[in-house]
Amino acid sequence: MIINGVYIDDTYAEAFGMKATRIVITADNLTWAKHAANAAFGFATSVIACGCEAGIERELSPEETPDGRPGVAGLLFAVSTKELAKQLERRVGQCVLTCPTTAVFAGCEGEESLPLGKNLRYFGDGWQMSKLIAGRRYWRIPVMDGEFLAEETTGLMRSVGGGNFLVLARSRSRALAACEAAVDAILRVPGAIAPFPGGVVRSGSKVGSKYKALPASTNDAFCPTLRGVAKTELSPGVDAVLEIVIDAVTDADMRVAMKAGMDAVCGIGAAGGIVRLSAGNYGGKLGQFHYRLREILA
Amino acid sequence: MTTLSLRAVPNGRVDMTGVLPETLAGRRADDIAKQIIHLAGNPMMLGDLFEVDVDETDMLVIRTDSDRLDCLGKGMSTGSVRIEGPAGHYAAQGMRGGELDIHGDAGDGAANGMMGGLLRIRGNAGDWLGAALIGDRTGMAGGVVAVEGNAGDRLGDRMRRGLILVRGQAGDACGARLLAGTLVVAGGCGTLPGSGLRRGSLILGRSPEAIPLSFNDSGRVDLSYLGLLHRHAESFLPGLLPASTQAHRYMGDLAFGGKGEILVLA
Repeated sequence: MIINGVYIDDTYAEAFGMKATRIVITADNLTWAKHAANAAFGFATSVIACGCEAGIERELSPEETPDGRPGVAGLLFAVSTKELAKQLERRVGQCVLTCPTTAVFAGCEGEESLPLGKNLRYFGDGWQMSKLIAGRRYWRIPVMDGEFLAEETTGLMRSVGGGNFLVLARSRSRALAACEAAVDAILRVPGAIAPFPGGVVRSGSKVGSKYKALPASTNDAFCPTLRGVAKTELSPGVDAVLEIVIDAVTDADMRVAMKAGMDAVCGIGAAGGIVRLSAGNYGGKLGQFHYRLREILA
Repeated sequence: MTTLSLRAVPNGRVDMTGVLPETLAGRRADDIAKQIIHLAGNPMMLGDLFEVDVDETDMLVIRTDSDRLDCLGKGMSTGSVRIEGPAGHYAAQGMRGGELDIHGDAGDGAANGMMGGLLRIRGNAGDWLGAALIGDRTGMAGGVVAVEGNAGDRLGDRMRRGLILVRGQAGDACGARLLAGTLVVAGGCGTLPGSGLRRGSLILGRSPEAIPLSFNDSGRVDLSYLGLLHRHAESFLPGLLPASTQAHRYMGDLAFGGKGEILVLA
């Protein structure tokens, strides 16, 4: 398959079932809501060492938030409910509770729930107050600028993490420009985030390493500097590869997000220095979800 | 569903217990007319006091020009009831769900022991709205009460949970012995507001003549909770609460633990 001069590899992205939640952070203005969200969702690029993958899903107008203030919706993904609960509580406790004027609310429903303000309320040292509004419990925790308002729980969703595609281009600058366009398109899809810095990854990995302690190491087959000394997947004319990793609330969201991203790259096309689109997988044995690039783009 | 039209002003108080959407649903008019109610403590058939019409709607409508119909919506758990006229005492007593809409005044003891659902009073409410059932230790434990007019004395006495909204004024001892929950009175209140308040919030649109001495002044505060409450209250009584999240807070009653609050919005 070739789209606008871009060759689409006959391969698939291998993704995993993950546990996810959505929270809504509001503040007196969008700037402070984003300060809290950027802190809470920072250092959350990969579950390998961050505990969770997270990012801002979208900005919310005052009409869309529970307390009528501007805010952001964010998604957090982890490999287990226990780890997700731990990360959620730590990040909200250290980054949202601490941030001036903020409040935090559940952003989704779920069969199961995760503690949001349920344990953070004890920061109130006995002065916290509970409010039950429309069947939902909120905690009012006294802090130095007034009160931190936190909904007691948020929902738990079964979701998909690790969807990806690789952009192979004639130069690093061309690959980066295409990825920037792809990330812009992906972040317009509700229910999807690209958790890496700017949504783009340069350090794609393979399973295993020559060093016994490491479970993963650099994906040498896609490293242009190793052509000639290692087995390469790079076709002639490809001088740089960048990867986009996507986490999504549902399988359908993942497909929409991957298509949006790849369409944006193909739109730039060969004229913009894009040579191929490929994807990362582990032979299909590890992940429950397989996203065939040609099927998504068909 | 059913329309009950009062034939004449009864010569005593009528206990309307059991006349509910869930008990009348699917029944024929002649069957409904045989439902037993009590007039001045004596059993009689519903059809003796009311004309009964059954239609296709899913609402129970009670047309009355007398305030002697007590216990309207008592124990109701589902469906909708509209009272076209005044209600007697103990409307929505022990109500668990559904909606009771009174297009007139309500007597004393409305929403006593209420646990869920929505009670709308388009006119004024009497004393002891949302308070405890006689002999009970706690009052209203859930649901929403929205009053367009004024409320009487001891509004929300011993209230445990839920939300009461009053657009007009409340009488004396408003929110007295409040255990928890939220009480909003936009038009101000009489003497001794929040007396004996343990937890919960008494929110006043106008400053009362005096705050009880057992409350301490916490000054002006900005509470994002008020934004949340404003949005919720808009669906019941639009314009009741201002969009501002500023309030003057008094904490108390310090003679009863001091964990409650009176918020004055003006």
